[in-house]
Amino acid sequence: MKIVVLVKQVPDSGAERNLRAEDNTVDRASANNVINEMDEYAIEEALRLQEAHGGEVTVLTMGPQRATESIRKALSMGPDGAVHVVDDALSGTDALGTSKVLAKALERLNADVIICGAESTDARGQVLPHMLAERLGVAALTGARKLTVDGSQLTIERQTEEGYEVVTAATPAIVSVWDTINEPRYPSFKGIMAAKKKPVETLSIADLGVDAGEVGWAGAQTTVKEHTKRPPRSAGQKVTDSGEGGVALVDYLSSEKFV
Amino acid sequence: MNFAETDEQKELRKAVKALAESYGRDYMRAEAKAGKHADALWREAGRLGFLGVNLPEEFGGGGAGIYELSLVLEELSAAGCPLLMMVVSPAICGTIIARYGTREQQEQWLPSIADGSKIMAFAITEPDAGSNSHQITTTGQADPEGGYILNGRKVFISGVDNADAIMVVGRTSSAEGYLRPALFIVPTDAPGLQWQPIEMELNATERQFMVFLDDVKLPADAIVGGEDANLAQLFAGLNPERIMVAALSIGIGRYALARATSYMKERTVWGTPIGAHQGLAHPLAAAAIEIELARLMMQKAAWLVDSGDDRAAGEAANMAKYAAAEASVKAVDQSVHSLGGNGLTVEYGLGSLINVARVSRIAPVSREMILNFVAQQTLGLPRSY
Repeated sequence: MKIVVLVKQVPDSGAERNLRAEDNTVDRASANNVINEMDEYAIEEALRLQEAHGGEVTVLTMGPQRATESIRKALSMGPDGAVHVVDDALSGTDALGTSKVLAKALERLNADVIICGAESTDARGQVLPHMLAERLGVAALTGARKLTVDGSQLTIERQTEEGYEVVTAATPAIVSVWDTINEPRYPSFKGIMAAKKKPVETLSIADLGVDAGEVGWAGAQTTVKEHTKRPPRSAGQKVTDSGEGGVALVDYLSSEKFV
Repeated sequence: MNFAETDEQKELRKAVKALAESYGRDYMRAEAKAGKHADALWREAGRLGFLGVNLPEEFGGGGAGIYELSLVLEELSAAGCPLLMMVVSPAICGTIIARYGTREQQEQWLPSIADGSKIMAFAITEPDAGSNSHQITTTGQADPEGGYILNGRKVFISGVDNADAIMVVGRTSSAEGYLRPALFIVPTDAPGLQWQPIEMELNATERQFMVFLDDVKLPADAIVGGEDANLAQLFAGLNPERIMVAALSIGIGRYALARATSYMKERTVWGTPIGAHQGLAHPLAAAAIEIELARLMMQKAAWLVDSGDDRAAGEAANMAKYAAAEASVKAVDQSVHSLGGNGLTVEYGLGSLINVARVSRIAPVSREMILNFVAQQTLGLPRSY
């Protein structure tokens, strides 16, 4: 089984994140850049599939040069190799453009199963798996909290607000996962040492047959016009307890229809 | 000269930190309180190869050095999870067997020490030979039927109850009564071997024991390196021991400083966080400086061990142990003080570290014995004893 995992480098969601004033893009230079958290679950799921069914796991990343750090980190968990699409012309690419580039790269990789996180912590669009499925003409099994494989049949439990849906598809397919699906492993020392020796193929958009005009700022179908910081929380309403505090709280809760 | 860690060392730090934080101080305290040994964390760290990073790859280790092993213990301790038996099993026993053991001993012990599936304790201290390892009386008498009959008594031996074997520092006595130093590997199920816990005022997942060896019959191949072994073997294990104790102390110091720092940013009196008050900020900053200085010395000592310079490493390892213990005691003390009454509550998890930090001032060699060593060996001052 040939498995490809999509890995994105994002600014650490645990620290302060900013958009750049000049072009409304994510400020990566001042951020602590890490693997998108949900992608670690995707890597884990890919490795579990490999352990159960054999085959090989390849990491696919589109991102600037510094994304190699995240690729090495991903490889230290156990995948066999990686493909890094890196090109200056990709700066400013939107989700549609990203899906175009990744689809081209995926066509070369011939995966049976493509696994990715359900969303990235920076953009949080959740659109990429669907776009890729459309471009590649494969099934989209999105939002999985469980994945089982029986021959060429994939079955997921799709997590919903009320419960879950059982969705099946035949390979090749793309599966996006939530953090409920597994518990990602820690890199072992051997994994860390092996990561630097694993093959990482770098590809430009020319290698993929993508024209510079189709991606980057020029090719973007969407633009961020402006951004503002989330306003600080307002002070709220203080209740001073002089014996009637409990009553005041209940009055407030019932006025807001909470009770 | 280069103080930058490699990418692999940085990734190892991150991986150990993530693992340790998933357990945390509360887990360790609960384990200690229940008389348990933090086995789940030990086993997982072993499976990930963290406990055996220093041992040869050929025998299942990571093929790195004491630098990497001390980094692992520092990060575990900094997350509130000091695994004391790392000082003993992979660092002392693992190093000695890797360097001086017979091929059979290496094959028998190193893979399971490396993956944590077996633990080897280490017994040197005796009731009448504390810091003076030259006066050890535990003796293996040549057995007319072959092998040795070992007799002796040891005190303050860590983790015997959870160990598969003990490396016992003793001597052999030939039929003619000729004595020579030897390290015996004694399985913990050997007839004639007994132990009794020493009740300690310590919140730790390892207990301390008195160990009694009464006519313990051992095969001839129980001696590390065979019959021709000598005292150099013992010293090969003691530099890593001091470096690892330094790592544990530094980790605990970092843990305490982090708890105090986060408290001092949150806790507000008179309209400002207490961390803005120099009466609290400056002593904590000074403690942070001392921890970092001790850490540099530990790293230098580890680097010297890994480069094969045992003589230079001896001085550096002793200095690092001294500096780390002092810095750790001060960091914990100042951190507890920074939290006021909360510093001694169970909830904030610092009070139990006061005694833990002090252990490194006494063991494995006391502050005063290190000062003696530096006075005599480094400064060339006359001996007092």
